[in-house]
Amino acid sequence: MPVETEAPGEGDGTRRGLGQYALRFRVSGVAGFLVLLCVAFALLRPAFMTPGNLNAIISNAAILAIVAAAQAVVLITRNLDVSVGSIMGFSAYLTADFAARHPGVGLALLLMPLVIGGALGAINGLLVAYGRVSPLIATLGTLSIYRGLTYVYARGQEITSSRLPHWMNALPDMRFAGIPLLVLIAAALVCLLAAFLNFYALGRRMYAVGSNVSASAFFGLRTKRIVLFAYTLGGVLCGLAGFLYAARVGTVTVVLASGWELTSLAAAVIGGVSVAGGSGNVIGAALGAVVLATIDNGLVLLGIPEFWRMFVQGSAIVLAATADVIIAGQVRHSLRARRRLARP
Amino acid sequence: MTAKLSAPALRIVGLTKSFGASNALSDVSFDVGRGDVHALVGENGAGKSTLVKIITGILEPNAGRIELLGEPVRFATPVEARRAGVAAVYQDPKLFPHLDVAENISMGAAPVTAIGAVDRKAVVARARDSLARIGVGIDPHALIAELSVAELQFVEIARALTADLKLLILDEPTSSLTPAEAEKLFQIVHDLRDNGTSVIFISHRLEEVALIADAVTILRDGRHVLTRPAAELSQAEIVRTMVGRPLKGMFAERAKRKPGRELLRVDELTREGVFSNVSFSLRAGEIVGMAGLVGSGRSEIAQACFGLAPPTSGRVALDGVPVTPRSPKQMLGLGLAYLPEDRDGVGLIMPATIVSNITLPILRALARLGLIDEAAARRIATEAVETYRVRTTGVDQIVADLSGGNRQKVAFARWLSTRPKVLILDEPTHGVDVGSKAQIHEIIARLADDGLAILVISSDLPEVLGVSDRVLVISEGELVAELDPSAVNQETVMMAATRNVRDAAHAG
Repeated sequence: MPVETEAPGEGDGTRRGLGQYALRFRVSGVAGFLVLLCVAFALLRPAFMTPGNLNAIISNAAILAIVAAAQAVVLITRNLDVSVGSIMGFSAYLTADFAARHPGVGLALLLMPLVIGGALGAINGLLVAYGRVSPLIATLGTLSIYRGLTYVYARGQEITSSRLPHWMNALPDMRFAGIPLLVLIAAALVCLLAAFLNFYALGRRMYAVGSNVSASAFFGLRTKRIVLFAYTLGGVLCGLAGFLYAARVGTVTVVLASGWELTSLAAAVIGGVSVAGGSGNVIGAALGAVVLATIDNGLVLLGIPEFWRMFVQGSAIVLAATADVIIAGQVRHSLRARRRLARP
Repeated sequence: MTAKLSAPALRIVGLTKSFGASNALSDVSFDVGRGDVHALVGENGAGKSTLVKIITGILEPNAGRIELLGEPVRFATPVEARRAGVAAVYQDPKLFPHLDVAENISMGAAPVTAIGAVDRKAVVARARDSLARIGVGIDPHALIAELSVAELQFVEIARALTADLKLLILDEPTSSLTPAEAEKLFQIVHDLRDNGTSVIFISHRLEEVALIADAVTILRDGRHVLTRPAAELSQAEIVRTMVGRPLKGMFAERAKRKPGRELLRVDELTREGVFSNVSFSLRAGEIVGMAGLVGSGRSEIAQACFGLAPPTSGRVALDGVPVTPRSPKQMLGLGLAYLPEDRDGVGLIMPATIVSNITLPILRALARLGLIDEAAARRIATEAVETYRVRTTGVDQIVADLSGGNRQKVAFARWLSTRPKVLILDEPTHGVDVGSKAQIHEIIARLADDGLAILVISSDLPEVLGVSDRVLVISEGELVAELDPSAVNQETVMMAATRNVRDAAHAG
């Protein structure tokens, strides 16, 4: 028997718990946290607030922001992709190798990482959506497969920047109105993606599938296709990110972007994307990337050994995920309470 | 009554559906008139939900056909059914908790703007419009996670309204609503009917059926018993028809024994808002039935005794010793075991073997220097499989591969391995085939003869009356009657269980 609720039909009165506020205003929470972080570092080390340093932070965050957005796209559908780093590495290596063999290749080269990344993402999507393999296991497998193929293909060779097209080497230093081009690319991509997820039917359906997969069938949503699409889109973004990262580091090795699965997951979760699906957005994920880059930067300025970086990153994941569990728990609880009351 | 201008809104002819060997529906035929509110009643397991699932395209029938306004239809999915104007609102909401009301109403069929984006304004307007049509003022921007159960059902109805709605099916919509909310729902149903939509209304509350229905169809054991105008049926008649099943020969006669000492005593047990002032006792060798509608608080009372959900006040004594139930572990240790209704979800570990399921509660006792005595575990499991006649290929079989009845026997064995004094069984034969059912009843009787005190919670009235020495009836969280099963019939129990305590209180 439910506790007496206010009679429906009387105004727009709906009750909101703390968890529900958190659900609605998560992104503002991350932004607020970022501001606090900056204030703290600025007070401790005045050098933090210099334009040069802030520029360094967002440059470092830019590529991670794209990968975090890719991770968020998959997380929103209540799935997971831990092969993002391997997709980046595979796409970057093949593209760089092609460019090295065909000097003089133009901007058309950019299509290559997108197609490769998309294909690798689609394989993940097929395994998860149609093969019904658990997302963690499937992408853990492809993490190893994609990286392994990169090793096999490369035979231990690295591709030095001297063999890459000139424009590719110049890319990381390009600026527009004083802002690094990489940052602008990342910002534009994240905004486009956010608009797609927020305003387009397919984007909304991705949230719906992540929110309640069993209801999706009643709404005629093609769940499997939607999940496949999410992985593919994520793959395309990782392919591009891999290419940009290769351009940035100059020398493309077989271990490029190893470990990014954890960093991207950390950024997305810190940015308020729920691992339980259905909530969060890519802008939050991108902000999460900026938070991680800010922490990195701050630790260096404070003279804290780099070894602490992993510790801080891991703690951030655990903290953010715990907050997430509490919020998701509230949502589930409200539904489960109803289901229990209404059991046949 | 509506004029019979042409075909009925819905005609069901010879619908049959079987799951494995058991027939959920056999040869069911009836008509739902245009613009009628048609009540569908029957005990739990009578086939109502199966019927709804077939009409809306979730299940496929083995035989029979469905006609909508004279046209034969067979929906492959609920979406097809909805497109044709047939929608169902289920007990558990099928909505997206993270998304807002407006979006839920339009999901899957949202209008788009020139640039292909979802037309948010149109989506909100559509939601406002649909909600206004049923006269509820839910904010279209509210998240589904923020709504009450009643509001969720209103959203589901509003969603159904966006199509040209010909038939709306409400599956026990009021089972978790407050009286005020239920009243609002009835008003919506009346309005829909006045606009020509037919409504199939499934409910256990017979006063509601009398209040709202134009016609009544009664199902029993998957068969159609009757369809008649509601005005021609009294509540007593409905109850009699619902439960009227031959009782004789189903239950082994148990020799009357003198009950032993009091093993469980519950005094004024209350859990705020769920049940209140429940007092009863169980004696050694006694089987006590607990009847009542689903949601009346029966399971919650048992769970409070078992330490799953602590009561807010009241006393519990086990074998004369007062106890405060805090956790199942504590209560198991004190000799009280509870076999939950959701056997597959809570009562058993489905992907594990029979041995590990049966010996799980006694692993500590089986351990030698921290290692499990594998041989002893197998011996106990083998014994149990024989005692409870579990049909299996061996004790290493995975529980998920057993039939419902055999799973229930394993669940029995599992809890009985703790050697309890008091055993509470929640719907022990729910979803169990007839053969296993009889065996389970036999096991219950044997356990009582061995001196256990047993409480059987069941919605199956013949079962409650057949196996129990005494029957307690719970309605709306209160113990409303204690009956002698040899002196009463199923109607008496049903009447007591369906009496609306709150309404009675209102009436004076």
